[in-house]
Amino acid sequence: MSGDSRSDDVPVLHFDEGLPGFPDAHRFTLVPIGADSDGGLFRMMCLDADVQFVVAAPPVFLPDYAPEIDDDAADRLGLATTDDAITLLVVTLADPLDQSTVNLLAPIVVNVRTREAAQVVLRSDVLPIRQLLVAV
Amino acid sequence: MLVLTRRAGESVVIGPDIVVTVLEVRGDLVRLGVRAPRGIQVHREEVFLELQAANRSAAGEPSSEALDWLSKLGTKANRPPS
Repeated sequence: MSGDSRSDDVPVLHFDEGLPGFPDAHRFTLVPIGADSDGGLFRMMCLDADVQFVVAAPPVFLPDYAPEIDDDAADRLGLATTDDAITLLVVTLADPLDQSTVNLLAPIVVNVRTREAAQVVLRSDVLPIRQLLVAV
Repeated sequence: MLVLTRRAGESVVIGPDIVVTVLEVRGDLVRLGVRAPRGIQVHREEVFLELQAANRSAAGEPSSEALDWLSKLGTKANRPPS
């Protein structure tokens, strides 16, 4: 999409396998919600298809969230150390809004050096797919 | 659906490089080992279906009301505790 000037300035995340439910959605940009990215909430907008999500950065909402990425997923993303990875949580907006949830079981993991990304299912019996956002 | 009978320790091969091995059968539980190349993700089916459904319900353009709520929530979450 060379005509889209915004995609030149904003980093593009690349999901090699798409996301579960959206196998053809490969390239996404992150646009902060609110004044700047300090709020920890972003619109994650697809450049290949009419697909978008709201995602939350755990450090702002869940400082204790420290997902353990298995070796297989780390390999796929080319992650050599945990310092190379950031995670983002998919938000499901609800009506009423205070019932909106975040997915803690399957974070989006991004290799910050290469911008390769994938939604990774953690090996956990306790992390929920739907956790209230206001309660986290 | 292809149906095969296997004992513990026996495997099936899918395509050139995926091997599923029955490790243990105990009562109504079957432990499987899956050897697959890098890039092939293996999921428990019910978890994968739930994740697909969660993603589908999460996808969509947020309303202006939702964006407003989220931006207030972000400001609040980011404020150091007093």
